[in-house]
Amino acid sequence: MARVIQVGAGSGGIAVLDAIGRDPRITQITLIEPDVYKPHNVVRHIFPPSAAGKPKGELAKAWLAERRPDLIVQVFTEDLMGAAFQNELEQIASQADVGVCAVDNEPAKYHFDAIMRRHGKPWTLGEVLSGGIGGFVHWFTPGGPCYGCVASHLKRVEESGTKGAQDNPRLSPLSPSPDYSNPQGALTETTVPAGKASIQAIASLHAVLTLRMLEWVRSQKSEVSSQRSDDGAPAADLCPLTSDLSDLGFTSLLLPLERVPGVFEEPFRPYRFRIARLAECLICQPDLGDEARMGDGEKGRMGESRTQANSPPLPSSPSPILPLSPEQLDVALDRALARLGNE
Amino acid sequence: MGLLDSEAGKKRLLSIEIPIIERYNLDRDKDYQVKVQRVGGGLVLRYRLKPCHNVYELETRLTSAYPTVPPETRVLTPLKHCPHLLEGQTLCLWRQGSTRAASRWDPAKYTCIFALQAAWRWLACYEVWHETGDWPLPDAR
Repeated sequence: MARVIQVGAGSGGIAVLDAIGRDPRITQITLIEPDVYKPHNVVRHIFPPSAAGKPKGELAKAWLAERRPDLIVQVFTEDLMGAAFQNELEQIASQADVGVCAVDNEPAKYHFDAIMRRHGKPWTLGEVLSGGIGGFVHWFTPGGPCYGCVASHLKRVEESGTKGAQDNPRLSPLSPSPDYSNPQGALTETTVPAGKASIQAIASLHAVLTLRMLEWVRSQKSEVSSQRSDDGAPAADLCPLTSDLSDLGFTSLLLPLERVPGVFEEPFRPYRFRIARLAECLICQPDLGDEARMGDGEKGRMGESRTQANSPPLPSSPSPILPLSPEQLDVALDRALARLGNE
Repeated sequence: MGLLDSEAGKKRLLSIEIPIIERYNLDRDKDYQVKVQRVGGGLVLRYRLKPCHNVYELETRLTSAYPTVPPETRVLTPLKHCPHLLEGQTLCLWRQGSTRAASRWDPAKYTCIFALQAAWRWLACYEVWHETGDWPLPDAR
C-alpha cells in the first residue's frame, strides 16, 4: 500500500514508471508531466508513432491501466514549477511515500527536492549522461544531503575535459572545457542524445533503487508503529526489514555503459559515491536555522542563540519571533529590501 | 513561483543573500555599495566596481528562478567589444549551458556577492586585455 509521486514521463521516466508500476506494493501513482508526445520521441519511447499528439501523462496512464487495472493512477498535465499548481503539488507530496524524479532540467530537480524535503519524504533521481555513455542514480532521505549538496559535490571542476578528466570519474566525460572565445556556441554535451538501450538501463537501476527505497519507507513505518504499540521494545528488533539504506554503500551511483578513452576506461564498472550533507549548503541549511542567517535589520529581532559557527556575527537580540508567518516573512523582506535601496 | 513569491525564495533572500549584501556594504564607501531593486519576479543589484583605474557601473539580475538559475551580470558602462562579452554587455561568467555539468554556477555554494566578485575578476581581466590584447586567465582562452 504505497503511494508514489513521479515527475517526468519522458523516455527515462516512462521506463521507471513501467517498472515500478508493475510492483504490487505500489497502489497509487501520481504523475506530473506537462508534455505532449511528439514524433521525435518515438525512437526512445515505448509508445507507437500513432500516439503522437497525445499528452504523455495520459498515454502513461493507459499503459499502466492495461497492465495493472487495480493501480490508481492520477495524472497532472502541469508544469512542476507552475505557480497555480503549487498548492496541489504540496498536497500530493504530503500524501506520498516515495518520490521519483525523472526530469532533466536543473530548476525542476531543485524544486522537487525542496518539496520532498519540506514534507520529509524520500525520493530518487535518475540521470542519463550525454550520449548514453552511462548514468547516475541518486537517493535522498529526510535529513540527508539535498540535491544541492549532491550537485555541488558532483559539479565539474575547472580542468574537466582536459587532464583532470582521466583520473576523476566525477567529471562529465563528454564535456570539453567551455570555449570562452565563443561563449554562445553550442555545447557538445547538450546536443548528444542517448539511445533507448542506455536510457532503459539507467531507468531500470532507478526503478530498482526506488523499490528499495519503498522497502526502507515500509521499515520506517513499521518502526514507528511498533514504537507506538510498545514503547518498551526496541523497534529494530521488531522490524526484520532493512532499517536503513547504508548497506547500499552509496548515495549516488555512476554506471558507465561504454568505454570512453580518458574518462571511462572500463564500462559497467560502477562508481559509488557516499555524498554527505554539505556543512554550509545554501540550499538545505537555511531550513535548519533561518534565524541564524537573518539580515542586519532582522537580527535584532531574531535571536542569536542558535547562530551557526560560520555565519555572520549577529548583535544582541531581545525577542526572537520565530517561526515567521507568511505575513511576517513579507514584512521582513520589505524592510530588508528597503534598507538596500528598494523604493 | 520563485524568488519573491515563494517561501523558500524569501527565506533564501532573508537568510542568505540580504545578509551577505549588507556585509558587503558595511564600511564601504556609499558610492560603491550595492543597491537592490525589485524588478518583476526578481531583483536587480546595482553597484560600481573599480578593479584597477577605471570605475564601472554594473547590474546583476537575480531572476525569479534564482538561485537554481545563475545571476546575470551586465556592465552599464560602455565597453570595447571583447571575446568574453555577450549581447547587452552581459558578462560571460557561467552561462555555459543549463545542465549540471555545463554550468559553473553552484547554487549550493555561491551567493549573489560571488557574482559581484566574479564580475570584479572579469573586469580586472578586461583591463589587462584592453592594454595587452591577452586575456590573463587560463580558463578564458
